[in-house]
Amino acid sequence: MRTATIQKSDLGKAIDLLVQADLRVIAPRLQPRLEEDGPDAIDVLTLVEVKSGENHQVGEGLLPLNGVKEFLFAKHEPLFAYEKRGKKIDIIPVHHEYPRTVIVGVRPCDAASIASLNAVFSDANAGFEDPFFTRRRERTTIVTYSCTAPDASCFCTSVDLAPDSSRGSDLHFTEIGGDLIHVEVLTEAGEAIANLLESLLEGEGDQQQREKAGAAVKEKLTRIRDAAPIKDWLDNLDNFDDEMWERLGEKCIGCGSCTFLCPTCHCFDIVDENKGSKGYRVKFWDSCQFDHFTLHASGHNPRDWQYKRYRNRFNCKFKIYPEKFEQQGCVGCGRCIRGCPVNLDITEYMAEVAAKAAG
Amino acid sequence: MIEQIRNQARQLLENGEVDVVIGYAEGSDPTRTTPVFVRKPEDVDRLIYDARCINSLPLYLNKRHEYTKKGWKKTGIIGKGCDIRAITQLIAENQLRRDEVYILGVPCEGVVSHFEKWDGSLHDGNRASKCTDCDVMIPLDTDFFPGEKPEVDRSGPYKVTSPKVANLMGMENDQRFAFWRDDFDRCFKCYACREVCPHCSCNVCITDETTPSWIDPAAHKKGVFSWHLTRAMHLVGRCTGCGECTRACPMDIQVDLFNQRMKEIVQENYGYKSGYSLEEKHPLITYKVDDREDFIK
Repeated sequence: MRTATIQKSDLGKAIDLLVQADLRVIAPRLQPRLEEDGPDAIDVLTLVEVKSGENHQVGEGLLPLNGVKEFLFAKHEPLFAYEKRGKKIDIIPVHHEYPRTVIVGVRPCDAASIASLNAVFSDANAGFEDPFFTRRRERTTIVTYSCTAPDASCFCTSVDLAPDSSRGSDLHFTEIGGDLIHVEVLTEAGEAIANLLESLLEGEGDQQQREKAGAAVKEKLTRIRDAAPIKDWLDNLDNFDDEMWERLGEKCIGCGSCTFLCPTCHCFDIVDENKGSKGYRVKFWDSCQFDHFTLHASGHNPRDWQYKRYRNRFNCKFKIYPEKFEQQGCVGCGRCIRGCPVNLDITEYMAEVAAKAAG
Repeated sequence: MIEQIRNQARQLLENGEVDVVIGYAEGSDPTRTTPVFVRKPEDVDRLIYDARCINSLPLYLNKRHEYTKKGWKKTGIIGKGCDIRAITQLIAENQLRRDEVYILGVPCEGVVSHFEKWDGSLHDGNRASKCTDCDVMIPLDTDFFPGEKPEVDRSGPYKVTSPKVANLMGMENDQRFAFWRDDFDRCFKCYACREVCPHCSCNVCITDETTPSWIDPAAHKKGVFSWHLTRAMHLVGRCTGCGECTRACPMDIQVDLFNQRMKEIVQENYGYKSGYSLEEKHPLITYKVDDREDFIK
């Protein structure tokens, strides 16, 4: 596939072109803290639908609070409606919209997470497909943007990614100095977007310059862990009862922030929202960090302490995911570290395991 | 100051007077601190105290938490004034006995509102709003305090600390509703606001109840609004204003604005401030014959 360049100052025009092509455009947008919000408020960067290129932060800031997850795997979703008539129950389909969507300015860690979600929601081995996810995925194009300023919580290089990775991307942007952005077209879906932006694209991109820019940012990462020995160490079932789990995990308060922020966490629950004789069956996000997540009807709870729930989360990322889905469970975005109210840090577990594995 | 705290903690652990001292330690990066459970006298040097010590540790004393099942007879806890108010409130609500806890008070000069805002010092740009006009920087009820405790006038009424509250109250209803609708749009119902709260004491939270399901668990508008409004109502007269719900919110929604306004209403109507007295019950679980409402007489 081809390469090109685009001016950073033309990104707003690029968004306008995509909007004019009747695409739903999702981009990072900053809601800055105002003086009247008081000192407890902070700037909020989120991925939101934008209707024009006037107000966007593509390439600015680091990571939006929400990832691309909620645009593929909805926070809540009615599966169908039902109505009881005597002993009979009518099932009424619910109409879902799947607009053609392009998400612009996705960071490489978030883009890489899509394959992990996809493995769960369209599991070829199990022959199962979640049509809500896969239809959205099919109609969504991902335009990634290499990071320029990773923060202290970023650790993508520890999990086989980099600030300029293009895994999971359709069209990839990398700043190469001045106002210039290197553009790589990676898939046919990416080519379709590139064609819409043709009037703003120029010539060929300099691949060498792009590699150099990416490598320079990689140098800025400070949180580096060795993830290689983790899987083997977790495979040894003796380590399931290692003293480390309780020692590191006892401060965890089970709030679930890490799982909701995580771009690869995908657990959900299904309930009937009933009103009289009718209602909706609704699917919505759930978390393995909640004490009732594994609570049995008998009252027994196999994960009866919070540290065991966190042990499950760590195992899910570094053992279950690679084993069951042949995908990475953690993309190193660092959201769980930034968002944790008690500073429970997944990379501390990673370091501890690596040290234990080394003996 | 921290040396005196460490020495006292060491002695308490050596004498077996407490099973554990809950305090703050350095976090996993320089801007952060983390709660720590110190069990051995030789580990007391991990304890620190500075303006990054944001967490309200009394949440670990709440009986809802598993830590209280560890068989600790007496827990030592390091507290700044506002945290000690939370302990006082827990005791006043019979969630904790005074003799189950040994309070190591620290003189506080304010804390940052978010770890992200720490730039090496505390200043007007990063100080949490609750620290403005705080009257418990010298804490109230302590078992140990480094140095003399000067007399402090704490008779003043509760005042909301965030300018955003007045700003919201000045809005028309539909404007105010629009503000919350937009902010709540980010909520995914992780319940971090509940889990960090020292006063959320229910064994089974109303939002987790399924028969019947009082609050829709899904994060749609109805589920989100009913959760946050219920949470605010359940804390009326009890919230001690640590602000942890806002700080812990991973989507940066200022949920404690509700609590601040509720405290103002309770102050206006009942002259009550939570967390200042072990004996005085909060207004919503008691009554007085001179109540201004007729129906109770």
